[in-house]
Amino acid sequence: MSTAQPQVPDVSIEDRLYTVKYRDAGESHLGVANPDVCTDCTTNECAKVCPAAVWTVEEDGDGVPHIAYENCLECGTCRFGCPHDNVTWEYPKTGGGVVFKQG
Amino acid sequence: MSANGAESLQLPKMVSETPDYNDAYDAIIVGAGLAGTAAALTMAREGLDVLMLERGPAPGTKNVFGGVLYTPTIRELVDIDSAPTERYIAEKRFSMLTADGDETAVSVRPGAWRDEPHNDSYTVIRRRFDEWFAKQAVEAGATLITETTVTGLIRDGKKIVGVETDRPDGEIRAPVVVLAEGANSLVSEGADLKESPDREDVAVSVKEVFKLDRDTIDDRFRLDGDAGAAYHYFGDGAVGQAVGGGFVYTNKRTVSVGVAYRVEDAAQGQTPEETLDAFESHPAVAPLIRGGRRIEYSAHVIPEGGADAMPDLVHDGAVVVGDAAGLVLNNGVHLEGTNMAVESGFHAGKAIVSALADDRSDEAALADYPRDLENSFVVENLRHYDWFQQTIADDREFLFEDLPRALADAETEYFSMDRTSKDEHTDAARDRLLEAAGGWFGAAKRAWRFRRMLS
Ligand SMILES: Cc1cc2nc3c(=O)[nH]c(=O)nc-3n(C[C@H](O)[C@H](O)[C@H](O)COP(=O)(O)OP(=O)(O)OC[C@H]3O[C@@H](n4cnc5c(N)ncnc54)[C@H](O)[C@@H]3O)c2cc1C
Ligand code: SF4
Ligand code: SF4
Repeated sequence: MSTAQPQVPDVSIEDRLYTVKYRDAGESHLGVANPDVCTDCTTNECAKVCPAAVWTVEEDGDGVPHIAYENCLECGTCRFGCPHDNVTWEYPKTGGGVVFKQG
Repeated sequence: MSANGAESLQLPKMVSETPDYNDAYDAIIVGAGLAGTAAALTMAREGLDVLMLERGPAPGTKNVFGGVLYTPTIRELVDIDSAPTERYIAEKRFSMLTADGDETAVSVRPGAWRDEPHNDSYTVIRRRFDEWFAKQAVEAGATLITETTVTGLIRDGKKIVGVETDRPDGEIRAPVVVLAEGANSLVSEGADLKESPDREDVAVSVKEVFKLDRDTIDDRFRLDGDAGAAYHYFGDGAVGQAVGGGFVYTNKRTVSVGVAYRVEDAAQGQTPEETLDAFESHPAVAPLIRGGRRIEYSAHVIPEGGADAMPDLVHDGAVVVGDAAGLVLNNGVHLEGTNMAVESGFHAGKAIVSALADDRSDEAALADYPRDLENSFVVENLRHYDWFQQTIADDREFLFEDLPRALADAETEYFSMDRTSKDEHTDAARDRLLEAAGGWFGAAKRAWRFRRMLS
């Protein structure tokens, strides 16, 4: 057993998303079905599961997540993450959204 | 709209003005990924007119995998030697990591893998491979339209008779629709062909690609020529408290690093980014990517419900293939979906050819597809490992925390350099392992539970 604590890489989500290419579809392909459900939701799993920090819930706001759809990697995780089935999710229109160069 | 086909094709402006256009195709394929292209190729080779609809600007632009492409079936469809592959897999390594920095690994490098056909395992860049693969289908006569998202299915009574797209007046009709839309199967779910899986049955995966010199990769991974390596990791050093694993794969000049674990675990609070950070900074992993430049971050879900979660594969006028049908084996030791996607597309394509030869496209006429898939390695492998996912979840603490730590302690003990005799160290090491496994009785019980891993 070693005592050396692993060093967390010095990289932010902004750095990571900076490597990703997008074509802005101009409108959000993500949303919530019923904002009241978000207001009552205390767990905010949408924010926890999203690898691209798309979903943020303000500390003293109305509890409805802000959705930075432009950063979405279209991975689909939030579709499954919300326990209230409250995430509405479509594909961005006409080829918009993420364009992976590697994949 | 861009069409990557030999001919450029416009969707009809007004469906009513061009009534004949609609049955211009024998089959419409939703998604030009591995499963969709395999189906298109199979049908085009048999002379069918097929239309592939892909939502991305080009095939591959929306697709993410580890990854190692398994090619036993692709080899039958295309000339794999001219495919844009990166490296063949010369080494597989399975490694247990603890959060304390320990690693215990098993490496296999069979000499036979160095020879053609390299055990049909190659790393590829999906962006390049998928486009190339779709091009082979186009050369065989298929039509490909990109930047077009299928938004729903058209029904005539119960029967599926075509698709709606996000193009103006973008309805297209055809006798058969192949749903090859991958893990986020919005069309199949929207049309009630399958239920959306539970978050226990879906993994989230995040991945980064690091740019390194070819020589650096060769040296670090002990490779030469086109040889490559596939490293799989488990334990709490790989994915923390979650059920899942990590991976490192070598491409020609890049290394892919990622983690995949249950969405359920992410929802409980272990975020994908933190998990990736911890994995990349593990002392057994960090040196492999040291100095590498991050060139792409990506993420995707992986269905892992196994055979039990497989939806109905055929409907009147439609078939479901690949990830959309949940055909992925993901259990830590195996992460395989590419071979199953291609195999399912191939069998579906053949079944459609023979159904249409009788002028039929109803569920019964397409039944060759589920039957052939059932008899192939796909369903057999999924069934064989169905128990495993549950067993891992039930035994997570033992497998991912206690066992890796006990192994590390036992090794430290066994190889310890001091003035105690080897015999004593061996006894102590064995005691440490037995203690973790719950004594002889616990060890026997666990050995029995996991026996099928090797059968
Ligand atoms: C991180 C990760 C690592 C993996 N590693 C491996 C590995 O190492 N080896 C392995 O064998 N497997 C691996 N897999 C699994 C493998 O990637 C999949 O099983 C395989 O890609 C499935 O192929 P598919 O054709 O069914 O779906 P996809 O490859 O997802 O293709 C679906 C296609 O359909 C398109 N599409 C979707 N919806 C629509 C629509 N409505 N209209 C038009 N087009 C649409 C998409 O843009 C896409 O091109 C991994 C998966 C992930 C996520
Ligand atoms: S989307 Fe779901 S998880 Fe997120 S705040 Fe709303 S209800 Fe909660
Ligand atoms: S699809 Fe993925 S990246 Fe996009 S918002 Fe949902 S979880 Fe985040």
